[in-house]
Amino acid sequence: MEDYQTGEETAFVVDEVSTIVKEAVEGAIGENSYQQSRVKQWTNNVVEQCLSQLNKLGKPFKYIVTCIIMQKNGAGLQTACSCFWDNTTDGSCTVRWENKSMYCIVSVFGLAI
Amino acid sequence: MEGAATIHSIRPSQQHRFRPAVVSSCIRELVREQLGGESYDSERSAETAQTLSKRITDRLKELGLDRYKLVVQVVIGEQRGEGVQMASRCFWDADTDSCAKDVYMNDSLFCVAAVFGIYHY
Repeated sequence: MEDYQTGEETAFVVDEVSTIVKEAVEGAIGENSYQQSRVKQWTNNVVEQCLSQLNKLGKPFKYIVTCIIMQKNGAGLQTACSCFWDNTTDGSCTVRWENKSMYCIVSVFGLAI
Repeated sequence: MEGAATIHSIRPSQQHRFRPAVVSSCIRELVREQLGGESYDSERSAETAQTLSKRITDRLKELGLDRYKLVVQVVIGEQRGEGVQMASRCFWDADTDSCAKDVYMNDSLFCVAAVFGIYHY
């Protein structure tokens, strides 16, 4: 029987997750301009792509992925998060991305089982 | 010899289950209390978002969700007619885990508070 130890293979690696998120956002939005009719599709694509790539890592984690896309028009936006979890095993990663017409903020939370 | 056997449950009882409606009304109350009548200010809003998320977490701990890990996300934005879209997806156990959210708007700002409750086996 295999022993499930908390080692490198089962830790939340921020860099790895960050790469996954950036690729997902580039793939879903890229250089597109903000369009009200398409933004819902884009947010869904980003979160779905992130989630499927995260699952392929095969780690014993539950994931929460949130994505905010905001049109650039000079308005301000602040996000904050507070978590009640196990600091040794759980982690989060937030990626801020932008192009000429919009901002995209993706947060990934990984909670160990 | 007497002893009380403690059973480690891997499913929450009805009482200790994450109930979205209850959590949602709890967040609603806290958000309105903190932001009612406030206007967006780039310096203050960062701090407000942080404080609000901490307050929500603390209040939820009192609800008796002992076996739940909580993730609270608060987004505060300025109202200037821009378009904003927020989406989330989760990979979890649909039987035990859930989320609750609340959206608050006034003339100067909007606020989205989302709480995710993940059961710890």
